[in-house]
Amino acid sequence: MDYFAEVFGDFWDPKKRIFFGYLILSLAIGLVWLVAVKHKSLRAGLAQVFDRQVFLSPSAKADYKIFVINRFFTMFISPLLITQLSIATAIYYFLHGIDGLQKGLFADAPTALVVTLFTVTMFIFDDFTKFLLHRWMHRWPLLWAIHKVHHSAETLTPITVYRVHPLEGVLYGLRSVFVQGSVIPVFLFFFGGGVDLVTIVGVNAAVFVFHITGSNLRHSHINIHYWPWLERILISPAQHQLHHSTAQEHYDKNFGVALAIWDWLFGSLHLSEKDRDLDFGLSPEEASADQLLDIYLRPFRDMANVIRRRVRRLGQRLNVLRGN
Amino acid sequence: MRSIKLHTTALALIAMTATGAVAADSYGPFPVTLKGYAGDKTNSVSYSGQIARHALHDSLKKAAALGNGGANAAEVEAVMLSYFNGSDADLDILAPKSKDGFPIKQTTVNAISKGKNISGKFYGGAMPAWPGNGTGKDAVMHMIKMAAKSDKGFDAENGYDWGQVISKFTMGAMMYNQSVDNYLDEKLAADVKPNDKPYKDGAYYTGKEHSWDEGFGYWGAPAHAMSLTPQQAYAIAKGKDLAAADANGDGMVDLKTEYVFGPAYYAAGADKGGTKSTNYMHTIMQAFIDGRQVIADAKGEALTDEARAQLKAHAATIESNWEKVLAEAAFKYAGSVYKDINKMAEAEGEDKAKAYRAYVKHWGELKGFAMALQSGRNNLGATAVELNNLVGFGPVTMDNSYVTGVDAEGNFVRDRRMSWNDYQLNMLKTQELLKGKFGLKSLANDQLAELEALAGKLEAEASAETD
Repeated sequence: MDYFAEVFGDFWDPKKRIFFGYLILSLAIGLVWLVAVKHKSLRAGLAQVFDRQVFLSPSAKADYKIFVINRFFTMFISPLLITQLSIATAIYYFLHGIDGLQKGLFADAPTALVVTLFTVTMFIFDDFTKFLLHRWMHRWPLLWAIHKVHHSAETLTPITVYRVHPLEGVLYGLRSVFVQGSVIPVFLFFFGGGVDLVTIVGVNAAVFVFHITGSNLRHSHINIHYWPWLERILISPAQHQLHHSTAQEHYDKNFGVALAIWDWLFGSLHLSEKDRDLDFGLSPEEASADQLLDIYLRPFRDMANVIRRRVRRLGQRLNVLRGN
Repeated sequence: MRSIKLHTTALALIAMTATGAVAADSYGPFPVTLKGYAGDKTNSVSYSGQIARHALHDSLKKAAALGNGGANAAEVEAVMLSYFNGSDADLDILAPKSKDGFPIKQTTVNAISKGKNISGKFYGGAMPAWPGNGTGKDAVMHMIKMAAKSDKGFDAENGYDWGQVISKFTMGAMMYNQSVDNYLDEKLAADVKPNDKPYKDGAYYTGKEHSWDEGFGYWGAPAHAMSLTPQQAYAIAKGKDLAAADANGDGMVDLKTEYVFGPAYYAAGADKGGTKSTNYMHTIMQAFIDGRQVIADAKGEALTDEARAQLKAHAATIESNWEKVLAEAAFKYAGSVYKDINKMAEAEGEDKAKAYRAYVKHWGELKGFAMALQSGRNNLGATAVELNNLVGFGPVTMDNSYVTGVDAEGNFVRDRRMSWNDYQLNMLKTQELLKGKFGLKSLANDQLAELEALAGKLEAEASAETD
């Protein structure tokens, strides 16, 4: 029973995207979209929301298994996160050591302002670093070898968010440690005691809004899109689905999580394309959609290949330098 | 339903009374067990010598504030030394003194016990925390000399509040050291002060009974401390709660058995402040009572190895918790010093001078407790070196200079400077060091608490949600 609670706990945790409340809201939003905007009958809408071909596809079944297996790996990631406080303390110490830096410079700022600023800053830094790391995942072959696991999904369900290689879990965990470990001490140093986070059910209020407005639909077959102007600010579900598309013109687009401005700034923004049917996944030569051993082990083989190639190239260059 | 409730309450009451009767809940009276004793004493507990030393200590602290900036230095030094070295004359108790609604029974030291001093019981080991490369006793003698020359115990230029430094240091160098490094250490050996002989010729208590009592006396808690909350104990030491102090109901506070002195006061302070998750005062008190019971149960025979092992276990509890109490106090004042520096930065003119005065006071308490910690049975090794480096010989003063040593005449030398930010950083590191090395839990004034609270609230994500 404890093991069950441990494995499926995320469904009850409002800090997680697949919290049952967010899932129900996403379903409702999806259904309203299909019926009210796409003018489908309620029956057809329900059939699409609960599409068996999506939820019971071999790819989706692999997602479910990965969800359970990765719980085991989480136990190894957790100890890394203790370092968050060490980083925060080290930076706090470092700031004390800078001469001329005035501690408590903004200590008189109204608490409401400080708390709002901290909450927004945390959200923006979190979102931006996720964008950056995601971009590197696609651009650097060594990281792409790991991130392919996520993109090998041929159908998208809310559980696909857990379809990641454990090594990617480590990288995202470290990113989180780094962001929190640096923002917290900087705020405390300049704003003093009043720093706090605006939370709703224990989550950053901005993250909460992201989740109740259908974050789970990003990994689904319901292609809700926004007005073009809004898709330059916020990533719509359809834009994220496009990120998973097999079409060449969609490669390396829309890395953002909540905010689209990063993609806009870095030139990787792609607005959604109405009524275009998308295929998801990767070619079998690149990654398997449903073979677990392949999903977990191939990244290591691919990384080894990347490294071997690099070493060989380096050797050749050295030979050229030596004049051979 | 109601009758069931009543019954349970009655049962609970009976159960409570029953357990109360089994274990002693007060330090004494314990019976006279000395074989062959023919006198009329019925209570073998005696530790008035230690209480006299507490009164000498409190008075010495008070006397440290008698100076007028140099003119009366010789006179003040003589007064301070009379309390430190003891005196043939019957000295007035300068503190604690009666207050409105809080009458104290004794007004002179001899009314407690005659012929006592601090000097004979002061830590004589090396004390590298103080400039001059001397012993603990050398350090306190230097402090007394400097205090006598100061203006009401305050040396603004070098940053010392002498009453605080001397008093807190003494709480380690006399009370803690005598108790844990002497009475609860050597005196527990089988062949030292045995239990089947009187402590000395003509005494009505045995060797072990009196050794344990003396160890208890230095702890400074009233006999009925188990029935006091930390808040009450704290109030008694502030001369406030007569009802809580007056265990025998005679309308006055008997310093011998009813008052709360330094070490017990700081244990109560740690328990009532900070995270409120500690129970130092009652833990130490119970160990003293239980140990005394082990000795009483031997009924005047030499202690068995088993009984001595029990005593040693109680002594270990006392020592480790007492050490934590001193470290908690140092931790708290390191936090105060940190906050005082913030206040000084914000204050102007007279307010700034006031803030500096508070800063120097808190630093004195920090320094005193840091030195107290180094006066125990154990050599703290690298921890002591690190602590002394972080706290320094003196605090950063108004012109950013700080004491780095003394010249041949014993005058302070301040030939280095440090920024306020750097000194605040030292205070953070002091707190981190004390917390880690001594396993502190009360953590009053924790300057990293907000950082930890925010980090805890945000909880770095353990699972990867990837897009």
